[in-house]
Amino acid sequence: MPRPNYIDTLLQQVTDAGATADVLIDEQTSLSLKARDGQLEEQAVSDTRLIGLRLIKDQKVGLAFSEATDADAISHLVEQALLNARFAKADKHQRILDNPTELHSDDALLCPPSDLGDAERIELALQLERACLEYPSIKSLPYNGVSESIRTRQLYSTGGLSAQTRQRVNALYAYALAERDETTAMAFKGQVARTGGQLRLNPLVHDACTEAERMLTGSPVKSGYYSVIFERDAQQSLFDVFSLCLSGKSAMEGVNPWRDKVGQSVASTLLTLTDQPLLKEGFGYQLFDAEGIACQPTNIITEGRLESLLHNSLTANYFNLTTTGHAQRSPKSALGVGAHQLHIAPGKASHSDLTSGDYLELTDLQGTHSGANALSGEFSFGASGYLCRNGERLQPVRGITVAGNFYQMLNRIEAVGDEVLWDWQCGDLMPLLRFGDVVISG
Amino acid sequence: MLNPAIARRVLDHALSQGADFADLFIERQLRQNLSTLLDDVENVTSGLEFGIGIRLVYGYQVLYGYTNQASAEALCKVIDQLAAKDRRDPVTTAVAFDFRAPSRHYSAQIPLSQDAALDAKIDYLRRADRAARTRSEQIVRTMGVVMQREQRIEVFNSEGLHTQDTRHYCRAMITALASDGQQQASGREDVGGLVGWEVHQQSAPEKMGEEAQRQALVNLGARPCPSGHMPVVIGNGFGGVIFHEACGHLLETTAVAKKASVFHDKMGEMIAHPSVSAVDDGTIDRAWGSIAIDDEGMETQRTQLIQNGKLTGFLVDRIGSEQTGYARTGSGRRESYRYAPASRMRNTFIEAGKDDFDDMIASIDRGIYAARMGGGSVQPGTGEFNFAVTEGYYVENGKVQYPVKAATLISTGPKVLREISMVGSDLALACGMCGSVSGAVPTTVGQPALKVNDILVGGNA
Repeated sequence: MPRPNYIDTLLQQVTDAGATADVLIDEQTSLSLKARDGQLEEQAVSDTRLIGLRLIKDQKVGLAFSEATDADAISHLVEQALLNARFAKADKHQRILDNPTELHSDDALLCPPSDLGDAERIELALQLERACLEYPSIKSLPYNGVSESIRTRQLYSTGGLSAQTRQRVNALYAYALAERDETTAMAFKGQVARTGGQLRLNPLVHDACTEAERMLTGSPVKSGYYSVIFERDAQQSLFDVFSLCLSGKSAMEGVNPWRDKVGQSVASTLLTLTDQPLLKEGFGYQLFDAEGIACQPTNIITEGRLESLLHNSLTANYFNLTTTGHAQRSPKSALGVGAHQLHIAPGKASHSDLTSGDYLELTDLQGTHSGANALSGEFSFGASGYLCRNGERLQPVRGITVAGNFYQMLNRIEAVGDEVLWDWQCGDLMPLLRFGDVVISG
Repeated sequence: MLNPAIARRVLDHALSQGADFADLFIERQLRQNLSTLLDDVENVTSGLEFGIGIRLVYGYQVLYGYTNQASAEALCKVIDQLAAKDRRDPVTTAVAFDFRAPSRHYSAQIPLSQDAALDAKIDYLRRADRAARTRSEQIVRTMGVVMQREQRIEVFNSEGLHTQDTRHYCRAMITALASDGQQQASGREDVGGLVGWEVHQQSAPEKMGEEAQRQALVNLGARPCPSGHMPVVIGNGFGGVIFHEACGHLLETTAVAKKASVFHDKMGEMIAHPSVSAVDDGTIDRAWGSIAIDDEGMETQRTQLIQNGKLTGFLVDRIGSEQTGYARTGSGRRESYRYAPASRMRNTFIEAGKDDFDDMIASIDRGIYAARMGGGSVQPGTGEFNFAVTEGYYVENGKVQYPVKAATLISTGPKVLREISMVGSDLALACGMCGSVSGAVPTTVGQPALKVNDILVGGNA
């Protein structure tokens, strides 16, 4: 991946202005396909680039971005960032790191050659719809797709940093709509893989279609307190909604409920949570963070005790700590903090232990982005799933709400499964957890 | 923005590949975001976006590509990639361009391209912050945001259309965070429109700050919400988000054409209580969801969706019109050049009725008054929706009793339309961002206060 020829000019203009800066360049090429009624309904291709400049002058940060890279655009980018910096407050904790490092991710690992041609990919999209429609109650796939993208990120700085990474992502997804006797139900399943040849159509079709068909007979359960197991994707989205509690930035801003809890118990002793950015099977794999810091595993919660929040260099400086390598940023955004690949350590509960007795298995949560208050931990989501006994699904359940306080729920973990599972986007690796006394309304 | 000679050459090339129709969407957008924390400026970000989207239509099939490059060679290369598998003999020839300026034009008094107005924006947010923290030590933090953008668009198509427009958007928000040392709660107020920085004239910053403070303090003292099926009075303004999500999306031909909407075959039928009439109107002067032309170059319209309970209209874009036979409504919208257009809402609201708010509350033995709604989501195929209540009150024996927190409303679009029994006269509109297949677009939601007889309330009392 060659260093773009405008980078040196840009960084020189920054230096000439008496400032320091880093430049983030995100590029993406993609192909996506959607099928309908046995034909290709939509085909999209893209080729885009976005440059983001984070500039610091007199301890003030200015941000600017551009989708153009001609000489005028580069000069305008620097001028805009300098102008914006004039209005920002002085921030003694934020700086461009002196980091004369070259980092390159391994293309053989993250960006193997494409193994599907366009014709094969189109056939896969058509086959996805065909296979789903073979299920008697599946009437359509309102949303479905096959896609491939190559995402490239480059990061350069006046501190000498040169970092580059590139990854290929193939994806397959389907929303199966089932209909019988004027009752409808819809289920989503998705899958990602490095190469198109690794995508597995049949399990995805089976899971989406059988889930939608089962939900046709779903009904609410009686309101009350239930033992609950969230299915892997539902559980991942639950942790994602409340990820603010892990952020050093939200702690710095005074809105993290765990800001004063480092060293204290925040969860059941059954819970051990780490961030594992270098797990190669995951699609959250990161060689370096958005400041060019080489990523390393981080212990967050060990047997219920909060070990560390996640930090970039800004929040680490604020708390007089060392960055944990969790800087996050897009070319359009300010420096933030985020986990790369959350990993919950497997517990001791076998599947039969985990699923003993009566419980609710929740396979889908609705409204997770709006029904949660990450500050207080309170949430109330629409949900569907199954009423279960001893691992057996007794009846499909829909039209219910699940409510509670996430932070309090972490202290009511009854069991941790002994097998870890990636969520469908291969972003986090977790065993199933069983929570006690969860409020269900039906 | 794009030389018509290049547009001509590119569209000719598209038709030479056998496409029935082709269009180009050129977008150049300036953006500026300002954020504050208490009275400090947190970040100022600005930038330029530029790109071109190319759409080729073969029957009902849409091929879509985009690039940041404006040369004929780069654009023709996108077409070659798209059409590689669909190339066929040309059946259509391009028509000469006939430039048409939109009949409406929403200019700005303080456009971003001429005045960044950073000093004035910072002053506005600082005044809102001071107002939010005045007279209450429980307001521990405020976050202010001003977002402004200036979007220039140009559309060429193979039927000879050439048009362009400039859209000015500006929105200011203040969030107040309250704490009693144990619990935290928040409140938010915002103002926005299809305008430049003159949006600040719509609401004094002190009023914004005071309202954010009021909500935060109410929520700080809120109790857990009872759960179960019960009647709910939904407040005016942003309460219309329920109609938007639960019904509006089901009336877009994007869902109707695929029969992914429960309303796809209900045109002319009673789908709501007779007291309900609803509109999607893109022509309201300088409203947040208004547009002069849609992103397919068509002048936008006012569309009556429901009249006295009867379904009377869908929201129809070009492809939706081809697929369903309904006339286009100027509803083809997209977030940016990165998305193909789709039928989308603009300013969507339930029209005012005649019921009195106090009568609605008085009619409830045990229920909820959802004064302010937050976000939510809906499954178009089933109509199932969920919405968060951001300011709610428990109602008993016809009287508002106490504020409640963490409440969610669950139902389905068709059911809630039939369960509306009273519609108030206090119609109000509110700004929102709507995310769907063609990205996030500015939309207005709105309604008068209304009563729903039965809805599932999720709470943790």
